[in-house]
Amino acid sequence: MAYGYMGKVLEVNLSENKIDSYSLPDKTLELYVGNKGLGARLLYDLVPPGIDPLGGENALIVTTAPLTGTGAPSSNRFNVTTKSPLTGAIVDSNCGGNFGIHLKRAGYDALIVRGKADDPVYLDISDEGVQIKDARDLWGLDTEKTQEQLPDKTGKMVIGPAGENLVKFACIVSEERVAGRSGVGTVMGSKNLKAVSAGGNKKPAIYNEELFKEACKEWRDQLRSHPATSEELPQYGTSIFINRTSATHTLPTRNFKYGQFKDADKISGETLAEEYLVKNIGCYGCPMRCGRQVKVDEKPVKGPEYETLGMLGSNLMISDLQAINEWNRQADLLGLDTISLGNALGFVMEAGEDGFIKTDLAFGRSDNISQAIEDIALRRGLGDDMAEGVAHLAQKYGGEDYAMHSKGLELAAYEPRTAVGQGLGYAVANRGGCHLGAGYVVFLESNGPITVDPYTTKGKPGLAVFNQTVLEAISTLGSCNFTNYAVFPEFLLKMYNRSRLVSKVVNNSLMLGGNQFGKFMYSPKGAVLPKKVFHHPFPHIKAHSHCTGNEMSPEDFLKLGQRVFNMCRLFNAREGFSRRDDTLPRRLTNELQRQEEPRSRVPLDEMLPTFYRLRGWDQNGIPTERTLRKLGIEK
Amino acid sequence: MVLVKLYATLRGFTGEKEISMKADTVEDVFSSLVSSYGEDFQKKLESATVLVNGQNIAHLKGRKTRLQDGDTVSLFPPLGGG
Repeated sequence: MAYGYMGKVLEVNLSENKIDSYSLPDKTLELYVGNKGLGARLLYDLVPPGIDPLGGENALIVTTAPLTGTGAPSSNRFNVTTKSPLTGAIVDSNCGGNFGIHLKRAGYDALIVRGKADDPVYLDISDEGVQIKDARDLWGLDTEKTQEQLPDKTGKMVIGPAGENLVKFACIVSEERVAGRSGVGTVMGSKNLKAVSAGGNKKPAIYNEELFKEACKEWRDQLRSHPATSEELPQYGTSIFINRTSATHTLPTRNFKYGQFKDADKISGETLAEEYLVKNIGCYGCPMRCGRQVKVDEKPVKGPEYETLGMLGSNLMISDLQAINEWNRQADLLGLDTISLGNALGFVMEAGEDGFIKTDLAFGRSDNISQAIEDIALRRGLGDDMAEGVAHLAQKYGGEDYAMHSKGLELAAYEPRTAVGQGLGYAVANRGGCHLGAGYVVFLESNGPITVDPYTTKGKPGLAVFNQTVLEAISTLGSCNFTNYAVFPEFLLKMYNRSRLVSKVVNNSLMLGGNQFGKFMYSPKGAVLPKKVFHHPFPHIKAHSHCTGNEMSPEDFLKLGQRVFNMCRLFNAREGFSRRDDTLPRRLTNELQRQEEPRSRVPLDEMLPTFYRLRGWDQNGIPTERTLRKLGIEK
Repeated sequence: MVLVKLYATLRGFTGEKEISMKADTVEDVFSSLVSSYGEDFQKKLESATVLVNGQNIAHLKGRKTRLQDGDTVSLFPPLGGG
């Protein structure tokens, strides 16, 4: 009997109209567990190197985790893995909402879509059967109207016109949540797959119900008692970071020319809450409830996240919050990633100023942005080029120094010249310029409650390795990364703030010992903290163990994160990615953010060698045979 | 005079976005705020991050950090972003 898992994977081949379901080997599940870990392994196994991401050979892989649908807090996210049409690298895009729960209710841990339908179709998955249905009537509809047409009380994943038109940064929408990055929606569109609907009555079995319930209660209590997860996130959502990143010069402003926006408060979480918020909303089973609901055209709709406020706000020198609310809604309806969208708009504005591109788009001008967004989704005029992303735009028109991407994926809303560890992270993240794949080091450098010197390179490679590993493990277990915000208990924060000695010791330990964090993950002893202490910041481990009956130790947890990160890197290496692709735009490495701060650039080349060493890679950025062997990764 | 800026739930607590005050050190700012807003606010301040002109006081001299005319002192409770 499978605990946590439903025991079956659903595979649909749209070219051959074939539907199949099967079990995965125990060893695969033991090593890769679920969500992005499982997604990476399956993609590597199913998709040969060098294929066209928009061709029938690419696979769209939707994965859940054992904790999904069990009642564990904030652990119902699902993952979409595929080969990205924007970058050619792996993309794993994580999404909230309830699709994962419903896929498991229908009896499946994962859905693999292969091939390409001749005409638009949608998948109807229930515990009574799976059908490939005609979606020609849905084709052309926005994501909201599409979801309305699908059966009630099911989990839904849909694309909008942007995905249909193969815009390279088209996203997948599920309820009001989004699997945003790197063209997962584009791949769905390339298969003529408009939507997936799933539902049923099955439930995952739990190995030890009593201990599991106890572990989940402790976890929920922890989230409900920490100020970040119980007060700030529920009241303000992620938008609360706008004023903080602006204060620390890490808010992208004017196409990442600057890190501080004089009108940050006008587009901040505080202003959003005061003037526009209807209520907060949350994913199923999450006590943090960080989602926003605002009014657009008198209708309550999803409000903007931090990333959207940054990329469509400060990055474009826009201080009109109502306009950003409208563009956020528009992007969701059309099915566009707001991060890449904001980057594309910002790039064109700057390239326009420099005379590389003929455009009316301009920093601070809001009246023509909605039209531009629609033009991108429908590939009209300049929108057709913008739909290809900033790397393409720069290649065609010029302005490479400020095409803000890494590996072709546009950077997220953290300016790394005042958070150099984040800069390193962007350059080495597996899916490209992703803040989470970077390890979200900026949290330890600029925006969290405990921060080290943002300009020093000391310890940053090790902190990046450790953070990336932890976030990979948390996601792979099915949980939301925000569960990590409770990692610094409140008593530690008070000591840190109160005592100069404590803050000096902590800061120096992180800086000087940072690289040791990376090292000890490979030691025979593994995680050096006692289990009980380790379980406090990582309650995921106990919950997963009691759910599945597979006892997970702190060492297993860290090894899992290492394994997943390396699995993704291996996929990329097989596609030809190496050190030469671990780059940042010259604006970030060669141009000072502020003339008065001589350290305000990312010294990437100084940090890469140590990062590779700590990751167990050669100096070309390729995982060594020894590393793969230690982690049990088969090529 | 320094400009003290309050963010997130600290704003809700005090009803203020910005307060101008005379202060020689960060400790003076704290004393002034606690005397205006009481013990409950003091508890919130204990886990708050303090920036002086964008720099965390943990990298300066903590609460003993000296302030100059025109400095900005920003106070944030522990936050989550994305």
